Amino acid sequence: MRVVNAVTTSWPALRLDRPTFSAVAESELDAVHRYLLFLTGNRTVAEDLTGETFEKAFRVWRRFDPRRGTARAWLCGIARTTALDHFRSEERRRRREERYAHDLPETEDLAFGPGPLEAALGLLSAAEREVVALRVLLELDGPTTARVLGISTTACSTRLSRALKRLEELMKDARD
Amino acid sequence: MPATDVDFEREFEELVRDLRALPTAAPEQLREHVRLLGEPARTQTLRDVLPALSWRRSLLVLAPVCVLGLVSAALIHGLVNSGGSQNQALVQQTSGSGGTADTKGSKLELGTSAATPNARSLATPAPGRFQDYQASLSLRVKDVDTLHERTAEATQIARSYGGFVASVDESTNGGGGQSDLVLRIPVARVQDAYFRLATLGTVTAQHLSIRDLDQVVRSQGRRIVQLKLSIARIGQTLESASLPADVRLRLELQRDAAKQELARVTGSNKATLREASLSRISLTLTAQQAAAAKKGGMGRIERAARDAGSFLASAGAVLLFLLIVLSPLIVLAAVGLWGTRAYRRREERRLLSAA
Repeated sequence: MRVVNAVTTSWPALRLDRPTFSAVAESELDAVHRYLLFLTGNRTVAEDLTGETFEKAFRVWRRFDPRRGTARAWLCGIARTTALDHFRSEERRRRREERYAHDLPETEDLAFGPGPLEAALGLLSAAEREVVALRVLLELDGPTTARVLGISTTACSTRLSRALKRLEELMKDARD
Repeated sequence: MPATDVDFEREFEELVRDLRALPTAAPEQLREHVRLLGEPARTQTLRDVLPALSWRRSLLVLAPVCVLGLVSAALIHGLVNSGGSQNQALVQQTSGSGGTADTKGSKLELGTSAATPNARSLATPAPGRFQDYQASLSLRVKDVDTLHERTAEATQIARSYGGFVASVDESTNGGGGQSDLVLRIPVARVQDAYFRLATLGTVTAQHLSIRDLDQVVRSQGRRIVQLKLSIARIGQTLESASLPADVRLRLELQRDAAKQELARVTGSNKATLREASLSRISLTLTAQQAAAAKKGGMGRIERAARDAGSFLASAGAVLLFLLIVLSPLIVLAAVGLWGTRAYRRREERRLLSAA
C-alpha cells in the first residue's frame, strides 16, 4: 500500500503513522472500485457503491485503526456492507416491481466486456467473484480476506480455489 | 484440464495476469467525487492512545489483573485486620425510629465483637422512660486463679451499685474454666457498672439490648384504673337491697372476676416495673487453656493469612453466586449472538447467490 501523506500521534511511546483520509482514498480508490465491480458485476452500480463507500468511510474515518489492519481491508469491509445493503434494497425493489409489472426489461450494464474471461466472470456467482477480487486483484492475504468476508480462512481458501477452477473451466468451454 | 502441475501453474498465472489486466480502474469522475470529500476533522480519541487489543487479548490481560487485584485486596484486608489484637466491629441493628438509647417504643440492639467498651458507643438508658435493659459481656482472663478473683469482683461490683447477683455458674476444666454470672443492677447506674465489669478482663464480645416498656406500663396502668372503677361500681350496685337474687349473684361473680384480673394485672405491672428498674447483665468470664490461649494469640502473619483466606473465600462465594445467577443470562446472550450471526451469514449467502 502506498501512503502519500501520514500524521503521527502525539504519544511518543505509541508512534504509529496514521495515513490521512485523502491519501488512503487516492491510493485505494481503484482497489475498492475493482472489488465492487467484481462483487456486483455491474459497472454503474460499482461506481455508485464506490462513491457511497468512501462517503461512509469519510464519516467514520476516526474509527479506522491502522494497528488492526490495512486501510484496504477496512475499506473493503465497508464496501461489502454497502453492497449487501444495495442487494437487499434491490431485492425489495424487484419484488415490488414484480408484483405490478412482470415483464419489465432488465437493463444490465456489461461490467467486464465482451471477451471469454469477461463472459466467464459474468457466469460466476457474486460470492465467487468477490473472493477472486479480494485475493487475486486486491492481493489481500488469506486471514484478512476471511475477516472481510466474515468466514474462516479455510472456507475462504476453498471458495477461492473453487472459483478459480470454475473460471478456468468456463473459459475453456468458451474457447472450445 | 491441465496435464501436469507445471501446466496448471502456467494456466493459473495466465488467468491471474488476465484478471489483473481487466479494465477495472475507477473512472475520473468518481475519483474527482472522492477527492472532493477532503479530509475529515481530526480529534484524538482514547482509541488512538490505547494499544489495539482484541476482546480475546483484553480478556487474557483482564483476567490475571482481576485475580491479582483480588489477591492484593485480600492481603491488604488481612494486614489491616491483623494490625491490632483488639479490633472493634460495631454492628447496629435498629427497628423503629431510634438508634440511640432513648428509642421510643422500639428495640435497640448493639453487638460488638472483641471490642473494648466505649462510653460513647454504649447506649445509655433514657431517663423518665421504662426500659428493659439487657447486656451481655464476654471477657477473657489469664488463668483459673484470676477467674475466681474476677468472679468475686464482679459480685462486689454488682452489690456496690445497689444490685445483686441473680445467678452464678462457675466451672473449671484442667487449665481452663468459665464463669457465667447474671447480675441485676439498677438501670440508673448500669452504665458505670458495665464499664467497671469490662475492666475485669479482655473483652471478646458484647451485646446490648434495650426494649422500651413505656407503652406496656401505661396500658397496664390504664387497665388497673378501669378494673378498680369497675369493682367500685359493682360494689355500689350490690349495696342496694332491692336487687333480685340472680342479678346480685351475677354481679358478685363479675366483681370476683374483676378482682382476680386486677390482681393479675397489678402483678404484671409490678414485674414490668421491676424489670424496668433493674437491668440484666450476663457476664461470661473465660480462662482458656494454655494451648487454646496460644492458638488465640496467633502471630500477626498467621492472622493476616487467615483473614486474607477468609476474604478470598468470601469473594469466591460471591463470584460463584453471581455465576450461578447470571449463567442463564449468559447462555441466552450467547445463543442470541450465535443465532444472529448465523442468520446474518445465511442472509449474506442468499443475497450474494441471488446477485
